[in-house]
Amino acid sequence: MLLIYFFSIAVLLAIGLFFIHNKFVHRIGILLFSLLHIGLSVIAYQNLDSIDSFYFKMDSLAVLLSGLLSLITIPVFYHSWYYLKRHVPERRLKGRFLSLMILLETAITGIYFTDNIILVWVGLEITSILVTFLVYHERYPTALEAAWKYLFISSFGITLAFIGVLFLTVHSGNVGNDGLSFSQIASIANDIPPFFLKGAFLLLVAGYSVKMNIFPLYAATVDAKTTAPFPVNALTSTVLINAGFVAIYRTYSIIGHTEYLPWAQNVLMIIGVISLIIVSLQIFRVKRFKRMYAFSSMEHMALVTIALSLGKLGFYAALLHLILHTLAKTGMFLHFGQIRAYFQSGWFKDSGQFMTGSGVSALVYIFGILTITAIPPSGMFMSEFLIFKALYQSGDYFILGLVLFLLTIIIYVIFKYSMKLLYGPRPYYFKEEHVLVNRFEPISQVVLFSLAIYVAYFTPQFLTDLINASILF
Amino acid sequence: MIIVWLVIFASTLIYFFLTERVSNLIQILSVQGALLFAIAFINLENMHLLGLILVLLETLIVKAIVVPWFLNKLRKTNNMKRLMENVIPSFYSVLIMVFIIMGSFMLGYFMNNDFVDVKFFTIAISTILGGIYFVIVHKNIFNHIVGFLIIENGAFLLSLAVGGEFPFLVSMAVLIDILMAIMIIGVFVNKVGNTFGNMSTSSLNQLKD
Repeated sequence: MLLIYFFSIAVLLAIGLFFIHNKFVHRIGILLFSLLHIGLSVIAYQNLDSIDSFYFKMDSLAVLLSGLLSLITIPVFYHSWYYLKRHVPERRLKGRFLSLMILLETAITGIYFTDNIILVWVGLEITSILVTFLVYHERYPTALEAAWKYLFISSFGITLAFIGVLFLTVHSGNVGNDGLSFSQIASIANDIPPFFLKGAFLLLVAGYSVKMNIFPLYAATVDAKTTAPFPVNALTSTVLINAGFVAIYRTYSIIGHTEYLPWAQNVLMIIGVISLIIVSLQIFRVKRFKRMYAFSSMEHMALVTIALSLGKLGFYAALLHLILHTLAKTGMFLHFGQIRAYFQSGWFKDSGQFMTGSGVSALVYIFGILTITAIPPSGMFMSEFLIFKALYQSGDYFILGLVLFLLTIIIYVIFKYSMKLLYGPRPYYFKEEHVLVNRFEPISQVVLFSLAIYVAYFTPQFLTDLINASILF
Repeated sequence: MIIVWLVIFASTLIYFFLTERVSNLIQILSVQGALLFAIAFINLENMHLLGLILVLLETLIVKAIVVPWFLNKLRKTNNMKRLMENVIPSFYSVLIMVFIIMGSFMLGYFMNNDFVDVKFFTIAISTILGGIYFVIVHKNIFNHIVGFLIIENGAFLLSLAVGGEFPFLVSMAVLIDILMAIMIIGVFVNKVGNTFGNMSTSSLNQLKD
């Protein structure tokens, strides 16, 4: 009953923060939730592979991603505090924001641990609703536009996924609770007619692509990240993407037990390559930092999707890349809070001379950009190298060449925009007196980027074990 | 008997493309909800009490009463009478819908699968594709909700086609989830109308860089 207790306490905390508009209560509330989540991850690790509350399973993948969520919860809430202090004057709205953040993390945790195909679906739909409200938190017209698009396209995608689930149950008749678990569906996958099995895989991957930020339903996610508050982005670009990954990964485990595995691998490869091509074309038109980071997330998820189609080495590389991307992108979005506080804007055109104006923060930005573009010593270089190695070993030389070419374009554009921020001229309307700076703010990002290096080059044994245990086939 | 209900259901799909009156669209959705109840009630012969309550909730209460009532409220708040923002003229859309139904029938027939009820499958796939087409050819976001609800109705029919019946708790979770999503979509439609002055998707283009 551990997870039921976790959900109950988390929901009570969220309700408390929603209705009690007191600074002290808010602080205690987020501290308690952070401790609660860490406790859950630790206990789940100690009870690896056990079943909990009937619908949940503490398998390696769930424990791995839950631990990662626990790790970033503390810096995200810490920086949420800065965000609320600077941009949200109303105490009532602060409580609402923190409450929604707690509920979002709770729903994501539920998705990680659920071993039931319908409950994963329900969890992802709940995240759609919560993210919509968080995107619209600052209540300006473009936020409304982004929230509307996200909600509608997410709901559309989730409906597609539901049709996919129905296709998978075509052979089951009246399914009991056991019949909806991924392992149970995988065990009867060979009996499902190919039309329904393949159709279900396509519908589920297409439907959940809105969460994983890949082709085909990526557009709403990118728009949502462009306008959402940066602490929200630190979750939606990392742990929510991981939730989408879990949903697709578990669906993949079903078809992976059949003779249609090569077909599914081709589908994932095509989706990954198309996503990468879209990023390399669209990133030229980007004019805002958060949009650039959103496309960067899409680039990394495209690589993860390609890696999933490449067998055992690919799986290892995909999972490692997912971990490193979570650490790096959380850091980048949290760092954006300082850029916005410094320039009072998130547009490239409003930025410049960041290196001379705020040296330490600029250096941390460079550290972060090197990390997300996978340039050594970035930890992501290691996981990307493993993906390239897997591509080479599988004989996909053309895809390897294409991926390298597209990545080169993306890195070039990201550096071009970064140069404008660091050394470009400042706009004439920039006012020094409006600058908000806190010299301790970059610390959490340095820790996260350093962790990404440590995890990649000196991977702890327990992490390697968890990754290896999560590999499907 | 069931085939009659299914044919009536299919004809409502065509009617969606013939009308531009918002009140008519809402009425057709309500009729579809009632038809779904009739179809499910006849089809699921040995339904237990909980299953019956759930089907009753999902179709008659939610799809035929609650959602249409909510959409009507939206219509009145935003003073919507006719929505004439079709990308493709109605005549061609009706033809395309007829082709979709025919294509779905062919697909169901040639699939020749023992686990799927072809007549349900045909109408379910037609409804889902029809809903997607409805969303594509309309520029107004109110019509997008209508299209989304048509797809939801198709998914319900598909669940009858494959004969799957989920456990009660899981089905309730799905139902509440969908209902909440529709309500919140409705609230946001209202906000879009208030903020942008109209509900056309052409006014929702400020995010592009």
